[in-house]
Formats: sequence, C-alpha cells, structure tokens
Amino acid sequence: MTEINTPPEPPEAKTIEIPEKARTLPSGEREFMLDVSTSDLEVNMGPQHPATHGVMRILIRTDGEVVTGGQVHLGYLHRCAEKIGENVEWLQYLPYTDRYDYLSAMNNNLGYSLAVEAVMGVEIPRRATLLRTICAELNRIGSHLIAFGTYGLDIGAFTPFFYCFREREWMMALFEKICGARLTYSYIRIGGVFNDAPVGWLKEVERFCDVFEEKWQEYYDLLVVNHIFVQRTAKIGVITPEMAVDYGLTGPMLRGSGIDFDLRRDMPYMAYDEISKAGVYDVPLGRGEKGELGDCWDRVYVRVQEMMESIKIIRWCLGCIEDGPVIGDIPKVLKVPPGEAYVGIENPRGELGHYVASDGGKVAKRCRVRGPSFCNVAVLEKLLPGTFLADSVAIIGSTDVVIGETDR
Amino acid sequence: MKDFDEIYQRLEAIKAPGLLSADRPREGDPEDKTDKGRAGEAFVLIEPAAAKEFLIAVRDDAELAFDILADLTATDPDTEDENFWLNLHLLSLGHGHRLAIKAMVPKADPVVPSMVDAHMAAHFHERECAEMFGITFEGNPDPRNILLPDDWEGHPLRKDYEFPKEYHGISCE
Amino acid sequence: MNLMALEAATTGNAFTELLGGIAPEGTPTWALWLGAAGAGVGILVAFVSLVAMFSVWLERKVSAHIQCRYGPMYAGGWHGWAQTLADGVKLLLKEDMIPLGADKPLFMLAPALVLGAIFGALVALPLAPGFFFADVNMGLFLILAFSSLTTIGVVMAGWASNSKWSLYGAMREAAQVVAYEVPLGVSLFVPLMVAGTFSLTEASAAQSGWFGMHWFIFQNPFMLPAFIIFFIAALAETKRAPFDLPEAESELVAGFMTEYSGIRWSFFFMEEYAAMFLMSAVGAVFFFGGYHSPLTALFPEEATTGLLYQLVCAGTLIFKSFVGVFVMMWLRWTLPRLRIDQVMSMGYKYLTPLALVCVLGAAIWETIFA
Repeated sequence: MTEINTPPEPPEAKTIEIPEKARTLPSGEREFMLDVSTSDLEVNMGPQHPATHGVMRILIRTDGEVVTGGQVHLGYLHRCAEKIGENVEWLQYLPYTDRYDYLSAMNNNLGYSLAVEAVMGVEIPRRATLLRTICAELNRIGSHLIAFGTYGLDIGAFTPFFYCFREREWMMALFEKICGARLTYSYIRIGGVFNDAPVGWLKEVERFCDVFEEKWQEYYDLLVVNHIFVQRTAKIGVITPEMAVDYGLTGPMLRGSGIDFDLRRDMPYMAYDEISKAGVYDVPLGRGEKGELGDCWDRVYVRVQEMMESIKIIRWCLGCIEDGPVIGDIPKVLKVPPGEAYVGIENPRGELGHYVASDGGKVAKRCRVRGPSFCNVAVLEKLLPGTFLADSVAIIGSTDVVIGETDR
Repeated sequence: MKDFDEIYQRLEAIKAPGLLSADRPREGDPEDKTDKGRAGEAFVLIEPAAAKEFLIAVRDDAELAFDILADLTATDPDTEDENFWLNLHLLSLGHGHRLAIKAMVPKADPVVPSMVDAHMAAHFHERECAEMFGITFEGNPDPRNILLPDDWEGHPLRKDYEFPKEYHGISCE
Repeated sequence: MNLMALEAATTGNAFTELLGGIAPEGTPTWALWLGAAGAGVGILVAFVSLVAMFSVWLERKVSAHIQCRYGPMYAGGWHGWAQTLADGVKLLLKEDMIPLGADKPLFMLAPALVLGAIFGALVALPLAPGFFFADVNMGLFLILAFSSLTTIGVVMAGWASNSKWSLYGAMREAAQVVAYEVPLGVSLFVPLMVAGTFSLTEASAAQSGWFGMHWFIFQNPFMLPAFIIFFIAALAETKRAPFDLPEAESELVAGFMTEYSGIRWSFFFMEEYAAMFLMSAVGAVFFFGGYHSPLTALFPEEATTGLLYQLVCAGTLIFKSFVGVFVMMWLRWTLPRLRIDQVMSMGYKYLTPLALVCVLGAAIWETIFA
C-alpha cells in the first residue's frame, strides 16, 4: 500500500557526464568545475541532537540542504518496561508507568489503572473519577505546553518556551500539592486516586484556569500567528488524512489532518461521556487554514486549541465535584482475576493503549504498552525525503515524540 | 457504535477470512475451584496465516470499517504453552468501536505473514514484536531490530528468556 | 617595516601627539610611531573586549527580562555584572581541544582570523572628533572589507572542524553573506551620497548642528527605507536571529562552532558581539548623526576642543550603538528563525532591488533639491 524508505545505501559517487569537448576551454585550460563529482552526505541527527527531543537517532541523507532520505533508529532509552511489568506486582508497576511518557505521567497512570480495572471490574467513586479527570486534563495542558514551547525552540523562537515553562511550573506545583511529586506522580491508582485533594486545592486549580486563559492568548499572538512561524510551518510535512489512517496516527497528529476523532468523545471512558454529552468542549481540527490540510502548522494549532478545551473540561469538573471517598475497596496485595483487556485512552500524544493479561496471580502475564509516540514516529521516514534540513527539524518537532515512550 | 456480538455476527456474515471463534468473558464455576472463569474483554480468534486478509476484509467492509490498527503485539502465556498469542487491536474511526483479535502462533514455527500491506501502522509494531518474541513477519520491508541492538541475542519477552551475564564486556549482574 | 605607511596611519592620531608630549627629547620618530601603534592596538583590544563583555552581559539581562527571568544575579554583586568576567576566566582555563581529524592549522587560525578582522574593522571608527585609531579616507570600505573577512574565518572553521554540522554552518554562512553583502553596501550608498565621503570621521563631522536636525536620516525620504534595509542586512551579516542560520542551534547543533570550545569558542563569541557593535556604530554614523546628539549641541563652539566634549561625544556614539545592539537582541529573543531559502529569496529578490530603488530615488532627490 505505501512504500517504505529503503535503508540508505552507502553513498555512491555520482560523476556528471560531460562531453570531452566541454572539459577544455577555448584557451586550452581545463574547465575546473566540470569534473566535480557529488555524493549525498549522510548525517546522524542524534542520538545527541537538540532537535530530536531526547535520544532518538535519525540517519538522514542530504544533498546540500535537501534531505533525500531518513531512517529512524530507536531504542537508546529502552528500559524493558514490558518485561518489568511481568515481574512486579500489579500496584508496584504503577510507578513504572510514570516513566514512559514522563511529560504526561497522570495519563499513563490513568491508562494503566483503567486497564487493570477493566479486568477486575471495580467500581470507581465519583469524586475519584472527577479528580482523575481534572488531573489528566491538567497534565494534558502541561504536556502540550512543552510540545508547543519546544516546537518554538525548534523553529528558533526561544521566548515562548520560557513562557510555557512558567505556566507548567504552576501546574507542577499543583500536582506537588496533591501528590508530592512534580514529574512522576503515581497519583491515579488502581481503584481510584491515592488521596484526596488538600483543602483549597480545587480553588487554586480554578485560579490557574483563570490565569491560563489570559496567558494562552499571549502564546497565540506571539508564536502561532507569527508570520515567520507560519512561513516555516505551513505546507511543511503534510500528512494527508489517508496517510494518517494508514500509519495508525492518533491524537493531535490525526486531528491535525482533519479527521474528527477523539477517544474522549467517541469512545468515552470515565466521566467523559457525560462531559461530551453536555457539550462542554469541542474537538479542534486542522483545517489547512494557513497552508495545506495536515501540515505542521495544523498540528501545532490543534495542540494549542486543545489546551483551551482542557480548561473547559476542568471547569466543568470543578463545578460538579462533591465530597466523597476517593478510592474503592482495593486490597493491599492485589489479585487480578484471570482475563485480559485492552484499554486505550486519549493521551496528549494520541491513543495510549494498555493491554494487560492476568492468570489470576499477583503479577501480570503480559503488560503491553502501546505508546502513541512509537506509532507517530513511524511516519517520519515517509515525511522527511524532499524537505529542507531546517524543515526536517520542524517536522520532527511537530510529531511531538517523547523518547521515553517510543522506547519504553 | 456496535457491541461485540453485533461485530461478530457481521464478521460471520461477510465470512471474514481465517475467522475461527469468539471468546467472551464468563463467570467461573462456583463448584469447581480450578475454573475461575475469565474476566476482561471479548475477542475473536483467527488463523495467523490469514491475518492480513482478515485485516483487509474488516477494513474495507463499510459496516465494520476498522481503519486503524491500534496495536499489534504478542504474548508468551507460559513456558509450557505451545503457542504464542498474536494480539491485534483494531479501532474504527467512523463507528467508534474496537475489536480485539487473537491468533495462536506455534512456538515451533513462529512465522506470520506481514500485515504492512493492510496497515502501514503494523510496520514498527511487527519489528518490535519480532525482536521481542522471535516471531518472523514474512514480507516486512525493513526487518531489523528496532529497540534492541542489532547483535542482541535471544528474545527478551519470552517467558524462558535468560538474562545475559554480560554484553560487550559490560557486566549485567 | 614600511615606515611611511605606519606614519600615514598614525598621523594626526591622538596617541602620537600624546606620546610626543611625554617621550624624552631626542626619541626617534619611528619609535614614537611604533609606540603609538602599540598603544593603539592595546587600547583597541581592550575596547573590543570591554564592548563584547558588556554586550554578553547585556544580552543575558535583556533575554532574561524578555523571558520573565532575572539572568545572572550573583557574580560581582550588582546584577551579576562580573558574570562574563568569570565566564571568561573559566573559558581561558578550559582544556584546549582539537578534534581528531581536524585540519589543525586552519582550526587554530580561524578564530584568530575572525577576531583579527573585527579589530581591523573597528580601527576606522571615530568615537569622537579626536578619538579614532586611524582616519582612513575610505573608512567605510575598510569596515565592509574587514567584516567580510570574518566570513572567511567562519568558512575556515567549518571546514577545518571535520564535522558535517560545522560544514553545513560554514556553507550557510558563505551563501548568506554573499547574498546580504550587496544590499548592505548598496543601502549605504544613500547616506554616502549626502555625506559625499567614505570617511567616517568626515561623515560624523558633517552631521553637527542644532538638536539632530542635520542627521542624515532626516536629509531625504529615502534614508529611512535605506536604513531599514541596512539594518536587516546587518543582522544577516552578523549572524543574528532571525538570520542565525550558520549556528542554528536546533538544526545544526552549533553550526560552525560545534567543535570549538574554551577560549577559541569565546573568540567567535566576542567577534559576534563586536560585529554587532560595529554594525550598529556604522548605522549610527551614517544615519543617526554619529557622535552628535542634542547633548553635544549644547556645548559652545569654543568648548568643542576640550576633553569633556570629546568624552560626551564618545559616550553618545557608544550609547547609540548599544541602542542598535539592544534592538538586535530584542529581535533575537522575539522572532523565530527563517529557513535558508527564505533568507536567500529575501536577500536577492527583495532587499537588493529595494536598495537599488532607494539609491536611484536618493540620487534624483539630491540632484533636484540639494
């Protein structure tokens, strides 16, 4: 169906064929420039490179400034998460989920907990569900802030990055108050959440929402509609809707190509069914406003808009949250009945799938993680050929990969 | 949005290639202590050799339209078990339903035709699956290791995998 | 040694006169000249180093305040004023690394060439009526020629590093400078037509008068577009954002500087800031009245030979230059980076023709009204 980039062959020297006559000038001198032979240059972008957002290696072949081929090499951050899952107890695995997509650890906790709960079939208290939703959406904002800020960095704009970190700092302070950790939370547990929100926490979340809405406009004016930024990202790295579906892209990558699909709305889990039916939020889509449908600008636009939609969801949850228990009746040493389940949730980067299989024991038989970055990064090999070197950086940035997740 | 039973009826109606049976969660027998039943989600069992044709059939059928291959992985259920499970998870964007698929791949001859022709998404997943379990996906366009080093020995996610004592002079103990 | 050339270069120079005053009777003239040249070089080096160090500190503070940070706050006490000094000491003490496979002589020569070229360019800059290193009557040519020489150093560095990223940076620098040298030079023809001289000293002197009304920027309507073109081209010439492609850190790691470290790297760094200062100073001299300001206009005619007047003039020009440097920093921390083809098309397709139109318009204006 779709052709694959063949692995780069060793570069062959291409000699330009020039007729013998042209090689000698009328004066009798040999024409100097004509017997220059050119060959493609192979460059390792990564594993240590500012544009790869971690330790991904992309072997690119370039002809001058034009990239003629790219090959993705993963595995520099492989930490055997799936094998560990088969060797530790169900609850002990939870901190490991924080580590694969370290920018949205809450969502990872949530995905794993939902998968285990799907096998166990436990009831989650209402307050826990809403706290989970608030945390997951706050974390989505934080993750998109990083995606957007570092994308500005890729394009060469430094300042939005710092503005994004300013807001993210507050978000992390909020999480620190609720669970004591700033990056690897392990807050959402199997059966509910770890503990109740401290007094006044929900008020502070509301204040965060108020301030964020103001600041969001700053990002939008400063970078998203900046003329140079638009010139650098529009019509670059176009992913057609067919291609997006074929490559199994999910999340903002899919919606950037104009496909209206959001797991929260179309395959609801937790309280999202209610939220979607109440019409609380919209699903932003790429429309090819500045260039072509599915270009880098569309993907960035979708992420930026999603931050505002998350704010709406948080506000809705804050409006209807009531006191109550925050964790179901879960034993200390968890025994999961034999069975298996696959649960996919909407991570900031796409569908985060957890496939867990149990044989009734204290440890999992299989603990599979389907990381959205792992699937999204596959499309790079298709997008890179034919772009400029600077565009390849823009394209890699627009896929918003987290290497912790591609390698797990 | 369809539930599992409707999807399974449709699969039978279109005679999806390689379709074997459905496996639904069930209650355990209270009398029999060894039978604990099965929890979780329902899935269909298919022939591994026909996996690609199956995926194409359910992708192109308008009522099912499973156009996204969400996940492709394998499971080694037990050291004594004779089969690997090949787990596929499909997602339909238009209808918003999922399908879990399982195929039994014999450990003695773990060869499955590549599913890249049906879904490009299968490419990276197959490479990962191949190195982790030693299942060969025939026809994968770039069958190198993806997460492990090229010279890694053994298939780590097999239950009988023995952890290496050292790697290139680096002690692993 | 060509004493004639040395004499020509140092005649009328403040140093020669100063040394003539202190030197004991009977000192041969060539010794005076040599002493003046030595002192001039020493002062020049000190001046460039000071400018670069202050600019680095300024950049840190400006970027920090744009990005809601404080920047350096501890070294030296007041707002981290000694941070650059401390960094300089650190860079001096760092291990001197030359990558394996690098072209060693070229690798070592490149930073020296780059820094030397910028010293050479600053020679022709008059800070005040009596403060200059050499009154070169083709001063502007000298400055443009020397500042182009830095490009050769950069290409040399990129090639000698034996790194692919460095090579990319070097090629980009070469392409970019060739494209922007033309609009830079052509846009300067517009003030040159008004000034009627290539000498920066004479151009500065020509803009004296009451409250800046004689600044070249107000002389004809083509001056402002010419200045904007000059400023954009100067940004590209000094490799500042949004034209920082040769060192584009998110694309090329650090471009031509990837393999450099320690004091050699700091030479490139100093060159960048000295070049920014130089370009801003040239802009100030040819568009914004040089060392003249409303403040200097307050001095009565007879006081203009005094030391105070000279100091105020020098302060004025340095202040004007740092305003330009500040704008360059402001742009860098606000704008994203352009792509190489956009840079090229901007230089060749828009700036060069526009600069030529400005020259033509200014020529017609000067013929009719002046």
